[in-house]
Amino acid sequence: MLSACDGMTDDMLPSGTDERPEVDTSIMGTQVGQQSPDFAMFDTLGNSRGLYAELDVPHDGVVLYFNMWCPICDSHASHMRANVIPLFPDVSFFLVDYVSGTISVSRDAQLANGYGDIETLVDTGQVVFDMYGASMGTTVVIGNDRVVRMNEDYKDGVKLTETLQALP
Amino acid sequence: MKLSRTKMALIGVICFSPQSLWAASCCGGGSATSLVLPKFSTSMINIALDIEDYNGYWDSNGDYKDDPPGSDLNQYRLNFGYAHRLSSRWQAAIVVPYVWNSNQYAGLSSNTNGLGDTTLGLTYEAFDGIKCVWKVRDWKDLVPAAYFGMALTVPTGISPYDDVVNSFDITGRGFYRLDANMLLDKTIYPWNASLLLSYGKYLERDVNREYGNYVEPYKKELGDRMLGTASFGYTHFLENMDTMTFTFTYSHLEEDAGSIDGRPDYSSEMEKNSVGAIAAYSTMNRDWVYKLTYIHAIPDSGQGQNFPVTDILTVGVSHVFR
Repeated sequence: MLSACDGMTDDMLPSGTDERPEVDTSIMGTQVGQQSPDFAMFDTLGNSRGLYAELDVPHDGVVLYFNMWCPICDSHASHMRANVIPLFPDVSFFLVDYVSGTISVSRDAQLANGYGDIETLVDTGQVVFDMYGASMGTTVVIGNDRVVRMNEDYKDGVKLTETLQALP
Repeated sequence: MKLSRTKMALIGVICFSPQSLWAASCCGGGSATSLVLPKFSTSMINIALDIEDYNGYWDSNGDYKDDPPGSDLNQYRLNFGYAHRLSSRWQAAIVVPYVWNSNQYAGLSSNTNGLGDTTLGLTYEAFDGIKCVWKVRDWKDLVPAAYFGMALTVPTGISPYDDVVNSFDITGRGFYRLDANMLLDKTIYPWNASLLLSYGKYLERDVNREYGNYVEPYKKELGDRMLGTASFGYTHFLENMDTMTFTFTYSHLEEDAGSIDGRPDYSSEMEKNSVGAIAAYSTMNRDWVYKLTYIHAIPDSGQGQNFPVTDILTVGVSHVFR
């Protein structure tokens, strides 16, 4: 029972204090301001997709939305498709499926949920998910300079739009 | 390994479980998130186990979609409730749930548990005598029992804004909510009908952390919540005067879009329609009530929005102290 009470006051007495730790931007990492390490995942068509390879293609950056095919995931992805993606034709957008485990299952989920038009990467074993300290709805923006520009919840898409507008 | 599962639905269900109602003024009643003490009783305890099975969801357009292939998503809640009479017309109650999450996906699985959000209730009974009647002899016999109350949801559960390592740990929503409730109940034996209407408002809060990671602080508020539940039932008297009551319910629940730093957050608005059936066994003096409830969210397009579709089986027992 005592362990069940841990952190109870976090919501009963919420804080608006900025507690973000200092980020060392001189080292590689996945926090905003750091240069992202490379990674590779298969997409749902079976193609290996590497971050650095994607960024080497001339365009502005990459967006990763961590997705588990849930109601909020659908709401976010639907909003992104309608309101953000059309504004940034030179940015690559990816859904990252970290629950399906295999390409075939992920492909089935992608199509069943109506997102065949958004490239989906399969994060088998939640490797990239863990790398970015992600959760459902975490949205990561990486610029063509390989620097992480955003790593937080999608929320209403405003921060994502602002971040993409500010890409060098 | 961080597993990520914002089971907002799971959270929401704690708060959104349709009220299971039956002859409140005679037997007391309520649900896992509210308790109604019968007239002339001193207090009541209630223990109920909810078994919730997830079967797809409605998307933001209201279209029904299946859960991911290979998934089996469940939540179990053990609800402890206590109601106490403050005076002849006033009563108070508290309901505390303990939650277990069991999530199986094709690529991962998780089992977590923790305290849920607590509900505190204060109810005014706008009547003095029992409103259950056997015959209608006068227009006054048609007057229902009317309850007016307030309920405060206290975020004692584990929310996405807590220091959680694994978002499958989520057992609460993280917001205070104040509900205004009205319950009308009428029994003309053997038939019973009830209507519950509830309007709830969330308190805006500061957020500086999401799933254990500190973020740039912002303010968040969930949208106003409206719940309506209608029920109709039949009571059968056994030879020893114990009773079996069978009730059918229909519930409509919706929440408006919330806000983030004052901007509308349409991803948070939701809607859910569900039907239910309740079988209740009550001892002759109504001191013990055993209840089996089945609430079924309708897995069709147009029956909900932005919310999981679930089936909930509840087994509960109440004991009234005179």
